[in-house]
Amino acid sequence: MATSDLEEFRAEARRWCQAHIPADWRQTQVGVSDEEDVSFQKAWFQELRKAGYAVPHWPREWGGGMSVAEQIVLYQELAAHDAPRLVLAFVSIHHAASTLLAAGTEEQRRRHLPAILDGEIWVQGFSEPEAGSDLASLRTTARREGDAFVVNGQKLWASGAAHADWCLLLARTDVTAPKRKGISYLLMDMRSPGVDVRPIRNASGEWHFCEIFLNDVVIPASQLVGPENEGWRVAQETLSAERGMTMLELSERLGNAGFRWLVEECSRARPDGLRLLDDALVQDGLAALETEIAGLRLLCRGLVERHEAGTAGPVEASVVKLFYSELLQRMMDFGTEVVGLAAQTSLHKPGSSGWESGAWALDFIGSWEWTIPGGASEIQRTIIAERGLGMPREPEVAR
Amino acid sequence: MRVDLTEFHDELRSVARGLLGDARARADGAELPTPIDWALLAESGWVGLEVPESLGGSGGSFAEQAVILHELGRTVTMSSYLGSAVLGVGALALLEPSPGRDELLRRVTAGDLRVAVAVETGDDGVGGDPAPFRLDRAGGGLRLDGRAAFVPDATGVELLVLARDPESAFVVVHVALDASGLHIAEQPVLDATRSLGEVLADGIEVSDSSIWRFRSDPGTSAQRLVDRGALAIACDSLGLAEAMVEATVSYTAERRQFERPIGSFQAVKHACADMLVKVLVSRELIDAAVQAVAGGDADASTAVSMAKSYACDAAVDVVGKALQLHGGIGYTWESGIHAYLKRAMLNRSLFGAPAAHRRRLAGRYGAGPLASSQA
Repeated sequence: MATSDLEEFRAEARRWCQAHIPADWRQTQVGVSDEEDVSFQKAWFQELRKAGYAVPHWPREWGGGMSVAEQIVLYQELAAHDAPRLVLAFVSIHHAASTLLAAGTEEQRRRHLPAILDGEIWVQGFSEPEAGSDLASLRTTARREGDAFVVNGQKLWASGAAHADWCLLLARTDVTAPKRKGISYLLMDMRSPGVDVRPIRNASGEWHFCEIFLNDVVIPASQLVGPENEGWRVAQETLSAERGMTMLELSERLGNAGFRWLVEECSRARPDGLRLLDDALVQDGLAALETEIAGLRLLCRGLVERHEAGTAGPVEASVVKLFYSELLQRMMDFGTEVVGLAAQTSLHKPGSSGWESGAWALDFIGSWEWTIPGGASEIQRTIIAERGLGMPREPEVAR
Repeated sequence: MRVDLTEFHDELRSVARGLLGDARARADGAELPTPIDWALLAESGWVGLEVPESLGGSGGSFAEQAVILHELGRTVTMSSYLGSAVLGVGALALLEPSPGRDELLRRVTAGDLRVAVAVETGDDGVGGDPAPFRLDRAGGGLRLDGRAAFVPDATGVELLVLARDPESAFVVVHVALDASGLHIAEQPVLDATRSLGEVLADGIEVSDSSIWRFRSDPGTSAQRLVDRGALAIACDSLGLAEAMVEATVSYTAERRQFERPIGSFQAVKHACADMLVKVLVSRELIDAAVQAVAGGDADASTAVSMAKSYACDAAVDVVGKALQLHGGIGYTWESGIHAYLKRAMLNRSLFGAPAAHRRRLAGRYGAGPLASSQA
């Protein structure tokens, strides 16, 4: 796309943002009830959808079709105009969609992709009490009975499960096979009998994580994704695609919203007339963060472009996840430290805000939600070393 | 629209790797590093990569030099490439054509002679004053005064200095080596792979014909010159850090303790993963800065400061970790890792310490809120 076309698109996105982002959403969304939060999220999703901005990363035939360059521009403008984030639909438009597009049947795509655009909410049912970093050791079973699977077990850390319509479920279909060989990937209707959801309160005080108890839940065999017993491979293969796409948005947010606020925060005159920005250490810290954010944005863009070209390396997604999550954590730590006692007085962050909401101390706590899930930093480093650098594996146990 | 030169750069890289690899093998085990044969570099066309074809060069951009710099860093090669090709050719290319300037450029490209440029290579060159010299009117003529320390490849070559003329505009002065009042002294440093010198001008009489002016805005041009130096150093640091990651991965796969390769321990693996991430982030920032410099972008200095500060910090960390993971062997002179560490340390300080570059970046925050979209 020519630069002038891209600039035209930027102007268009900017006009849309100015006209459609509610000016007062930060104030109105502080301390809202769960129901209000969900309805605000769903309404905002439909607003974006009408403009063609809800799923820019999807293929054109399903309602997306923006180039990487256009997506970057869109995310920059949304962040720069402080748009609410799509929190509730995150798993639906990223994980669920990329799984269906990469490994789903045509029927599954027709059933769910338009429904996601209409507001169908998804949750990821991967982790379990005994399967965290060692995800492949999951114990939830799916027993084949005729043309259905009967599922029993317990899932953990399922973010947003309380509001989900559907679940991406990993369950063991062959208990005798080596642990990575006996797992299947299933689509589970959360309204099925035997599904019981219980929210867990997390370190920042929120309730979006859930336990899901599964008791003789019946899932039709037509809701199997990919071949039976190959669910581990399906999950791994969709990971890199979704990670690039999600990171593109998150890295632009970090640069265009989070960093901008940090600079504004440091530019404010304090009662003594001085600004934090006048401190050489603060300047140095800000510049180091800006540099790392620039590196992150370039890494993300490269990952998405190389993924589309089919030339992405085996660990690029891990590198991006590791670098983003730890950079987010360093940045929120820095924000909490420089803002000082005032940061301790933001007791709630607005619903619909991002990982950098401006409530620095709460965001610092929230940053562990990035360094732990989806493969903790320690797991990512092992993956990078073994698969990226070809270093020797641990000498033990079957995988 | 950028032209895709990936294939050409890959070819250049592969030729350079072959040539420098051989040169290094010959120098192995020597007490002091052996400079690479300058004629060989010139014959390979590496000196004139940015020189117009009409003057014997290949008419490329900084992007091609970046490929060579990366390879020189990988092999910690001793050469005058920084002084003569990056700064020398770079300065001459920024100047208005003139018979003297063209002739010098042609001869440097051909490998007949080398040229050094005395610019500010310390923190003051980053957003401060890059010109260590000034021209003053004296009697009927002009006199040159000033002092530049840590000038790359300064001894035994043609000399250009960056100066301010009596109107305070930046100019380049071609100083005759036998000029009265010129003192050039080698400045020994820990890193034996680089040659640095001090250039002192004490009332040198200068003729009009040896004062050369920039083709475009003198301030911008002078800044571009020191930015080139900073980015060249960043490319070098990336190359040497990359080589250290590879060496460490390879060594820790071979070295066995507790009946297993030490590379199978997570403590070692995670350290290597961190080294790789730093190298990958450095590479992205450097690629972006090289594009900005090669394309003459208005805000290239920002990209350069990001690349220089991150990559040069990262390289010292990476080499330090490489030395640690090589254990006792890594600490020996024979392993050669010390050469990488010394070069990485010098690189970090040359052409602006990371803190100086970050100070320049932070200068952009002071004027109020940032522009909302930085594409």
